[in-house]
Amino acid sequence: MTATSVEPSEPATEPPAGLRFRRHLGFREAMAELWQARELIRTLVERDLRIRYKQTVLGFGWAVVGPVVFMLVFTVFFQSAGHFATAGVPYALFSYTALVPWTFFAEGVTLGSMSLISNLMLLNKVYCPREVFPIATVITAAFDAAVSALVLLVLFAIYQYPPAITTLWVPVLIALEVAFTLGVTLFASSVLIYLRDVRYVVPLAVQVGMFASPVIYGINVIPAGLRPAYAIADPLGPIIASFRLTVLHNQPPDWGLLGLAALASAAWLTGGYALFKRLETGIADIA
Amino acid sequence: MTRLAPPPPGVIGVERVWKRFHADRTRPVLRDEVSRLSQRLRGAHDANRWRWALRDVDIKIDQGDAVGLFGTNGSGKSTLLKILTRVMYPTAGNVRIGGRVGALIEVRAGIHPDLTGRENVFLYGSILGLRRSEIAKRFDAIVDFADLSDAINRQVKFYSSGMAMRLGFGVAAFLEPHVLLVDEVLAVGDATFQQRCLDRMRVVLNQGTTLVFVSHDLASVESISTRGVWLRQGIVAADGPIRDSLSAYRSHIESAAEVEVAGAGQIGISAVVSGSKHEAPATQEPLHVALRLRSSCDQRIVLFIGISEGSAAPVFSLRREYVLDEGVTETKCVIGALPLPRGRYFAWAAITDPAGADLTPWHPVTCFDVLGPDLDAALPGVMRLSPVHVDARWEEISSPVPFRLPTEIAAPRQATGGS
Repeated sequence: MTATSVEPSEPATEPPAGLRFRRHLGFREAMAELWQARELIRTLVERDLRIRYKQTVLGFGWAVVGPVVFMLVFTVFFQSAGHFATAGVPYALFSYTALVPWTFFAEGVTLGSMSLISNLMLLNKVYCPREVFPIATVITAAFDAAVSALVLLVLFAIYQYPPAITTLWVPVLIALEVAFTLGVTLFASSVLIYLRDVRYVVPLAVQVGMFASPVIYGINVIPAGLRPAYAIADPLGPIIASFRLTVLHNQPPDWGLLGLAALASAAWLTGGYALFKRLETGIADIA
Repeated sequence: MTRLAPPPPGVIGVERVWKRFHADRTRPVLRDEVSRLSQRLRGAHDANRWRWALRDVDIKIDQGDAVGLFGTNGSGKSTLLKILTRVMYPTAGNVRIGGRVGALIEVRAGIHPDLTGRENVFLYGSILGLRRSEIAKRFDAIVDFADLSDAINRQVKFYSSGMAMRLGFGVAAFLEPHVLLVDEVLAVGDATFQQRCLDRMRVVLNQGTTLVFVSHDLASVESISTRGVWLRQGIVAADGPIRDSLSAYRSHIESAAEVEVAGAGQIGISAVVSGSKHEAPATQEPLHVALRLRSSCDQRIVLFIGISEGSAAPVFSLRREYVLDEGVTETKCVIGALPLPRGRYFAWAAITDPAGADLTPWHPVTCFDVLGPDLDAALPGVMRLSPVHVDARWEEISSPVPFRLPTEIAAPRQATGGS
């Protein structure tokens, strides 16, 4: 091999048209890659939990504080006024049962949308399937939700109101909620890289979302004719309503509405994931 | 384009890669796109929208190659490396890499200050693609290499910056990938640690790992690589044996510097370098550096000259303080026995006033070739700072006399990390 020193004879200023780079990443390969990265996800979740535990005195206690404070505020304001029909359920229990899934969604989306941008340093240095970062934050939020759900046990004891047998439906509801949360998080985190305004839109949308979803009130506030449209626009509505139905009211979920919510969640998840995988190739170029 | 099977482990194929960036992206992307769209609707054409960082780069690297990548700032080295790590994707062309790729790029990126050293080893290891069990297996070797011992259980924010860096390098150095990409990481760390990193890279190379090494420190590039690729404004300007590409690069940056400062300064300098009796300069022979100076007035000056192989850092430099007359004058410096081996060298010069203020900045004035013996090859991975020829001979001692070493150097430190 000999050194060939060429005076930069300017090559064409543009690459030939047929040379365009296209990433070939099939769904199966992408899933295999994600599976390979499972230990990384676990490590990232561990990192986030450890850091919080180290930086704060209360540690995991903070997972409980948020929803409990909201519950107390709501109870003080709405219980005495008797605003909302709770079908005999103590209002504290009524609102907290919704606050646990709601807080999971809110925390997952708020932190998850920031997950790419706060790990930019790493993203620009090391390769890994980028979705590990939003996935890890959603899992972290799930941990917090599990911790905050422990308060429910206390409330059951205080009000002498044991959970119904239909609580067995809850895993289905959790699966749906995780799918929806992950879809929104994938969407928001990848768009945020290109459009930093999203950073301010997300917390606002989440705040509004709490009032749009049946957290303070029951889903029966929504006129029956509007509920299908509502279920598609805000899949969280039927999901939260079903949490109440199954845990507190000893009823199966409202399958019609929940089916629509499931469709919407699936659309969010596939759409969010597809968009994420498209946008992830450009992260290093603009960030 | 059909999908091709990945090449065997350790083989890199960079096939006609182009990469462009936005020439000026100060505004958010969306606003940019909107204004561009409105421009296009009005029929305006924006040809200067893109800046090409890589143009038609085509490099094939075999398993076990040690490739040094160099070039001036902004020549596309880091972009190419990012494309190799798959952090970035090319605009056109294709990149195929076989096997696991490990990147040693700004090691502090993955280190979290609130976690302990131990937790960070696992975190950084899994970011770099190792399994937990693999990290656990190498944990002791990593701690030993990073020289951390007890500190491993302390939070990293209480580490010195050197300790944090050693930790990061330690994890990356024990990755055992098929391809190792190294970007300017040796700049930090003390001399011993730099040498240990080079040693480790040599071990990795001996294991058959392909190495791509980016650095501005040409001496370390030369000591570790066998092949050199010079990138110039996104184009491969030279690709070949490390010494050849490096000398092409060196003469380029020298001539660029020469053009840059030509005419600068209050006193003009030109120089002629020759051996004795106007022959070509040769090793261990006298060297004559004749300087012609043009000054606009009588003044007391300090004249500096230096001989360098590449950079502005000379192998040696000489100084003379005297009164320079107005007009054109000549002065000559005779060096007794030139301690340089065969090669191409550059004479640099500068003039200051006695207080040290620049009259003419430090710049190359001429280049010359030295005839003589080649330098002995150094141990691979051992950096030679600058080439100096010394007369030396080897002897056999017929009747060895037993002697005792001073205790401090009797037991050299056990080499860590190697196999």
